[in-house]
Amino acid sequence: MASITLSGVTKVFGNSRVLNTTNLEVADGEFLTLVGPSGCGKSTTLRIIAGLENQTTVNVMIAGKKVNDLRPSRRNLAMVFQSYALYPHLTVRQNLEIPLKLRDLSFAERIPLIWSCVPGAREKVDKIGKVVNEIAATLKIEHLLDRKPGQLSGGQRQRVALGRAMVRKPAAFLMDEPLSNLDAGLRVHMRAELAGLHRSLKTTFIYVTHDQAEALTMSDRMAVMIDGDILQVGAPNDVYNDPKNIRVAEFVGSPKINILPGRTDPSGVLSCLNVNLSRRLRESVAGDVSIGLRPEHLSLQKKNAENCFLGRLTYKENLGSDVFLYVTINDEAHQVIARATPFEGHDVAIGDDVRLYLVPDKIIVFSADGNRLQLV
Amino acid sequence: MTNSRTHIAFVAPAIILMLVILIFPVFVAATLSFTDYSLGNKTFNWVSWENYEALLKRSSYKKMFSASLTYVFIVVPFSVVLGLGSALLLSSLRFGSEIYKTIFFLPVMATLLAMAIAWEFTVDPIIGVANATLKSGCEVKWFYSLMTGSWRGGEPLDSWYGLGCVEGMPNWLGDRKLALGTISFIGVWQAFGFNMVLYLAGLTAVPRELYNAAQMDGADTAWKRFRLVTWPMLGPSHVFVVTITSIRSFQVFDTVEALTQGGPSKATYVMVYAMFEKGIKQNLVGIGSAITIVFLAFVLILTLTQVYFVNRRVHYS
Ligand SMILES: Nc1ncnc2c1ncn2[C@@H]1O[C@H](COP(=O)(O)OP(=O)(O)OP(=O)(O)O)[C@@H](O)[C@H]1O
Ligand SMILES: [Mg+2]
Repeated sequence: MASITLSGVTKVFGNSRVLNTTNLEVADGEFLTLVGPSGCGKSTTLRIIAGLENQTTVNVMIAGKKVNDLRPSRRNLAMVFQSYALYPHLTVRQNLEIPLKLRDLSFAERIPLIWSCVPGAREKVDKIGKVVNEIAATLKIEHLLDRKPGQLSGGQRQRVALGRAMVRKPAAFLMDEPLSNLDAGLRVHMRAELAGLHRSLKTTFIYVTHDQAEALTMSDRMAVMIDGDILQVGAPNDVYNDPKNIRVAEFVGSPKINILPGRTDPSGVLSCLNVNLSRRLRESVAGDVSIGLRPEHLSLQKKNAENCFLGRLTYKENLGSDVFLYVTINDEAHQVIARATPFEGHDVAIGDDVRLYLVPDKIIVFSADGNRLQLV
Repeated sequence: MTNSRTHIAFVAPAIILMLVILIFPVFVAATLSFTDYSLGNKTFNWVSWENYEALLKRSSYKKMFSASLTYVFIVVPFSVVLGLGSALLLSSLRFGSEIYKTIFFLPVMATLLAMAIAWEFTVDPIIGVANATLKSGCEVKWFYSLMTGSWRGGEPLDSWYGLGCVEGMPNWLGDRKLALGTISFIGVWQAFGFNMVLYLAGLTAVPRELYNAAQMDGADTAWKRFRLVTWPMLGPSHVFVVTITSIRSFQVFDTVEALTQGGPSKATYVMVYAMFEKGIKQNLVGIGSAITIVFLAFVLILTLTQVYFVNRRVHYS
């Protein structure tokens, strides 16, 4: 168990800057998700922590110790790769044994046949066998121990890869999109299992994903990374409800947050399109702003009321428990997505004129350069 | 499918071609190998196994098998190890690897016959560069003591190099004991570039994440990663490289024809050269066919071994 701290990490490949100065603190035993769109530098960050990538300028601390010049294997971390990276020529049992053998056995003790002549080797090998059996039992893969990775399903390989990471009882687990090769059902199942594993192991997890749903469901805290910058770190709820930047707001949440143009009049009162929101900014700046509205904060309204958009329904997305309504408003200049219950969704048909009520309390306002503006 | 005959029409061209250009000639050779037919004669006699008995009994054919096998057993290991070594080195180079690849691959592309002439001049006992270089080394003290072993107290004249300095350097192609070694050396020089390219292709197929996983698992030296990842992942390449090199070594002909004509005293009398000499130069088609059939049997065994290994052992998925 260990805390992990990155301070001032930069990474440059050739002449393209992949990571801007990055600071990140992961507490002992925490489940931190690093989330962001493809190519933003998540894997690079993880590989720098693991020591697989040389940092261009950096300080990486694990459990309070600087590990900048330590080899990956000496950092006592374990990594689960997206492609699982199991050794295809070895059986599952051998795959699980490898980290322990490389750590605990001397050169002579690893040679087939010779090892049994080395005094003390048998006890070590027996101990390794016992650890492997325990891990296999935890992950319920005992019946697969004699198979080769090629004979396993995706989910089973995933478990073996987890097992290989667990055998060394590392200080922290690093996971690089470990679920992205699984089908949707299994992915949801494995999410729950990983979260359970974290609870029982009480070890630090750093989990990389581009899937914001995974980040929201699994983690204690999530760090949103976009274009080589960590824009916001916080509990999933805080990041979702209180995004500090328009890019964070747009990345987190599915369907995407609606962004509409807004204005503040000279007295500081906000309006969005033609709707007067009767709210003020804390520091009043007259001019254009962007107004973010989550789909669940727009609802269908039967009768005319204040704070309503008039629009036309262009598409209905039925997810069973929810229906998402795609509505063009303001003479079809903007499209917004609103959430409705299946019952409400049933009532309207594509092409209907609809009225959307927006909850003024829930609006999130951003300045023209994308930073968050607080309301009074 | 069961009623229609269309599928036969579809595969017929391939099968007919195979019969005409592969199976039929082999069949003819097999038949001729039981006769004493010689080109130009109107008739022939059936001699049953006589030709094959000759192959087993006569000393010149014993020398033939021994020359061919020795050649194979020298060229295969050396060119495979050199090919793998250079592929590993080249794949770890950041720049310049293209130039080395081209240089190492040149001997493969060049006509061996033309190259053989260059080699003939190089190893010529009188005007050759090889011996001239060795000779000039006699004057250089440290080189002389290194080569003769006198640096560890050996008597210089007991070593071949010390003797060479006094009595003249070896005749690489003319000496019965050295000729096959020299021919094999040229074979290794020619073959390893090809193996290197095959291994380079194999190396690009090894997933990079496996090396990262190995590093995380504690394989912190290059050797440990080689043992854990590279060597086993190259399994299919090993089988292919060894088989191809063995078959190509069995087929060696042009260097022998150009440099030694099978001599001196049949030291380099390899199978394909024997085939050529008997069947074409001396028109003894019967014995020539028998050698051909034995040769094909060797190649067949090698190929079947490869198929067996490829199917059983080295494909992991
Ligand atoms: N070895 C490399 N050389 C040059 N550029 C690289 C290298 N590795 C990664 N990059 C670049 O660095 C950027 C970040 O890559 P990284 O792999 O960290 O992305 P990621 O956030 O993990 O994306 P994904 O979700 O697709 O895995 C990318 O733009 C990529 O092109
Ligand atoms: Mg990645």
